[in-house]
Amino acid sequence: MQIKLKLYGSSKILSDKEILHIELPNNSNIEKLRSILNKIISEKYLKNNLQNLSKTAAFFSDSDEVITDNYKLKDKELISIIPPIGGG
Amino acid sequence: MSLHTALVNTKEEKISSEKAKKFILSEKNGAESIFVGRVRNENSGKKVLAVTYDAHDQAVIKSFQSICNNAISKFDKNANIFLEHAKGYVSVGEISILIAVGSGHRDEAFKICRYILEEIKHQSPIWKKEHYTEGSEEWLPGHSLRPKKDIK
Repeated sequence: MQIKLKLYGSSKILSDKEILHIELPNNSNIEKLRSILNKIISEKYLKNNLQNLSKTAAFFSDSDEVITDNYKLKDKELISIIPPIGGG
Repeated sequence: MSLHTALVNTKEEKISSEKAKKFILSEKNGAESIFVGRVRNENSGKKVLAVTYDAHDQAVIKSFQSICNNAISKFDKNANIFLEHAKGYVSVGEISILIAVGSGHRDEAFKICRYILEEIKHQSPIWKKEHYTEGSEEWLPGHSLRPKKDIK
């Protein structure tokens, strides 16, 4: 299955586009997404200070609610990655 | 009580302290507290040219309203609050955030202003990318919204 990950903050380094399409095994949850993201970052983006992103990011559903690690993702679902925040 | 919260797209508009002062003005209030945050020309020894602010718009507005409503219930039910944060490219010296509070008394006005600023740093999904004078740029580290107990 594939999910659409909307990128914010430092995660924008992962793509020139606003949304990153990620292939996942069927019935994957957020925990699985974290491990796939960690693999992508380890292979291509370690120089960009993203090594902790897969651990420290939160994820929002399409309705802007925080989703936890056991949340089951659906095919074509749109979610947002929320790296550590720093406004103000 | 009056409340105004907004993310201001810097391509279209600038944050205005005059607008904020007009909004909070009331004969019922004896105190006004205004916090203006601007982009500094230095951070950790690096010369800063500008900052780009990214934001999850809907979640930011929800968090702003929740934070301000909490401040009102906690400190002064009649307070007027104006809160704007920039989104986009902000040059050194320009305003990145403005919090203006009109309240019955000075203590509540100061407390509301401080409370809103600190809560934004811990709740509102906003990110900063600094642009340096020598040409590089960097996303700044921040506060994780993932519960600490889950980060191994």
